[in-house]
Amino acid sequence: MIIENVIAAFVELATIKTFMLMMVGVAGGLIAGAIPGFTIAMAVVLTLPFTFGMPASQGLATMVSVLVGGLSGGLMAGILTGIPGTPSSVATTFDGFPMARKKGEPGLALGIGVWSSFCGGIISAILLMTLAPQLARIGLEFNPWDYFMLVMFALTITASLAGKNMVKGLIAGILGLLIRTVGEDEAVGMARFDFGSDTILQGFDFIAVLIGLFAFSQLLSDVRDPAAARRSLTETGTVHVRIEHRRAIAEVAKRWTIVVRSSLIGVFTGILPGAGGSIANILAYDQAKKASKHPEKFGTGIADGIIAPESSNNAVEGGALITMMALGIPGDVTTAVMLGALLIHDVVPSPTFISDEPVLAYSIFLAFFVATFMMVGLQSFMLRVFVLVTRVRMYVLASVILGFCGIGVYAINNVEFDVWTLVWFGILGFIMRHFGFPLAPMILGVVLGNIAELNLARAFAITSDLSPFFTRPWSLFFLIIAVFSAGFPMYQVQRGRKKWTLVFLPAACFAVSVPLYMMGGIVRPVVATVVLAYGAFTVWQRARGGWRIEAALGHTVPLKED
Amino acid sequence: MQRLNRDVVIAIVLLVFCGVFFWASFDIRQPDYGVLMPSTWPRVVLAVLAFLSMLYLFQSLGREPEGTDDGGAPRGAGLRGWIAHWRNPLWCFALFFAYLATLPVLGMLIGGVLFVFVLLGMLGGWEGRKPLFHGAVALLTIGGMWSLFTFGLDVMLPPGMIFNPFG
Repeated sequence: MIIENVIAAFVELATIKTFMLMMVGVAGGLIAGAIPGFTIAMAVVLTLPFTFGMPASQGLATMVSVLVGGLSGGLMAGILTGIPGTPSSVATTFDGFPMARKKGEPGLALGIGVWSSFCGGIISAILLMTLAPQLARIGLEFNPWDYFMLVMFALTITASLAGKNMVKGLIAGILGLLIRTVGEDEAVGMARFDFGSDTILQGFDFIAVLIGLFAFSQLLSDVRDPAAARRSLTETGTVHVRIEHRRAIAEVAKRWTIVVRSSLIGVFTGILPGAGGSIANILAYDQAKKASKHPEKFGTGIADGIIAPESSNNAVEGGALITMMALGIPGDVTTAVMLGALLIHDVVPSPTFISDEPVLAYSIFLAFFVATFMMVGLQSFMLRVFVLVTRVRMYVLASVILGFCGIGVYAINNVEFDVWTLVWFGILGFIMRHFGFPLAPMILGVVLGNIAELNLARAFAITSDLSPFFTRPWSLFFLIIAVFSAGFPMYQVQRGRKKWTLVFLPAACFAVSVPLYMMGGIVRPVVATVVLAYGAFTVWQRARGGWRIEAALGHTVPLKED
Repeated sequence: MQRLNRDVVIAIVLLVFCGVFFWASFDIRQPDYGVLMPSTWPRVVLAVLAFLSMLYLFQSLGREPEGTDDGGAPRGAGLRGWIAHWRNPLWCFALFFAYLATLPVLGMLIGGVLFVFVLLGMLGGWEGRKPLFHGAVALLTIGGMWSLFTFGLDVMLPPGMIFNPFG
């Protein structure tokens, strides 16, 4: 079945035009990812207007290519200039830059980065193809109550991971939900918050809102400082190198365990809504350091320190795509934009998406796979383009892209109001960024607002009783993990300092095991027992230690939007 | 500690915003059919937003405002200092508004080229041969993008009154 779908998807994608578009996408993504201040999500969101006229599979393949290119582009800037191109490649600079500068081996550092990215991408593509249909099968069990709670969980965890202050994150998420209520409501077609305006009655175009909130506001932030806006990237480093592929492959192959472990960290971080490459690359680096026999060498320019973050950050999007394709819930801002692209083509991802639209679903999987190969091929060539692009001043890039935003947003619906939407939401995004409100929860709120409301309406159509939200196993499961993920930032801050943090983990384990037992079957009660046993073990450990606060604080992960 | 700090003001603005929208939610017509009324979900969202804004207000009352994302860049005093600090984003807003306001007259090609050209000048300066370089950049990039959408993707971009006086 999988083979048949893969072949059908390959036939769908195997046109010269699609391959050309994918190559352009990967190349564009590599460059966008390499420019500090330009995020991958911004590159993907700006690609969206170009794809609306294409067939769904072609448009999505192009966007996936930009995504894959962007994931690998960050390493060029990180290794050669010491400035990470994207938050996903922050950890790459820890060893990549010293290897390039102090050890004088920039070609090897780049090669290791490229091949680690390749391996991470391939592992995650394989997992995407195999895990997404399985997760979708679980998703088929979801009823409207479960779906509603899943959306609430996605928003809560994104808010808790996206910034320092969770209340601000939640406010941003709720504002996103509110934005989506403007215009005609989808269930019965009544006007809401139109304030007597016919244009507002149509609602804000979702893509214009996304481009405004994310790309427009980011560009304004990039040029905020007049001196920095007139500076170019090459002033901070050297970029005359040749990638040493052969030596790099040998180095990566010798450390295959780091590749596999980091890729798995990446995939599972990606599956979790809200946690993106910015977290995964640091986690993978940290794990590689802990597992190493020579942790003191990390930071001096060793291969392990490049392999771990680069394999994990490329694997993240495969994981995020698993959740998006299987459940229709975007894992991060980038997949939220991908979801927007699917909606433009009248495709609504849900648990039935992979079985209803196997060719389209598998063409996305396959595009991820093929784009990873293209990334390796294009990296050497794009290095030269990167040299040219880094000579361009930030204000030139920002001005031109602002102009592109206007044209691109207008082109989506041929409506001038959409360009106004772009600018208003650009301003809103800029102000929110300035005051420390994370944008990721807001974007997820905009994307998931309709899904939440429609499922709430469906739930109420079945019964007006509210108890299924708390008695249905999946709904209860999502509610419990939403509550604990809401408390997680406080737990992280106060861990090792306050007594209540000692019971947080066991309480979470005990609580989560309840809905897992309620689900029945064989596997889930077994999982519940394992979780319960772990919780009990933690309690026993803490009791043995006399419930004293342990000062053992783990790693600290800088949480930034990707 | 300053009692009425920036975060407090933002929280109050959010509460006022909730009030306005809650008031506006009474204008939503309630049909005789359907179980979930069209105003129910927005009101739930607004109630949660109001609750969170109150929480944010109480959080902000007792502490210093959180840092902003401009890295603590020095800022001059008064309105002139504020304008100097935010000069570049203000130019971006103002020129984009001008671009949109003149769109029906200039169209997307001329308007877009002019927008990018003027913005490049305002952000990058006008000295030496910069205007020539900026002009070329604006013409090539926006012209290229306009051509791609018009001829490549068959998108009808606003021609404006100059290109299409009888349109």
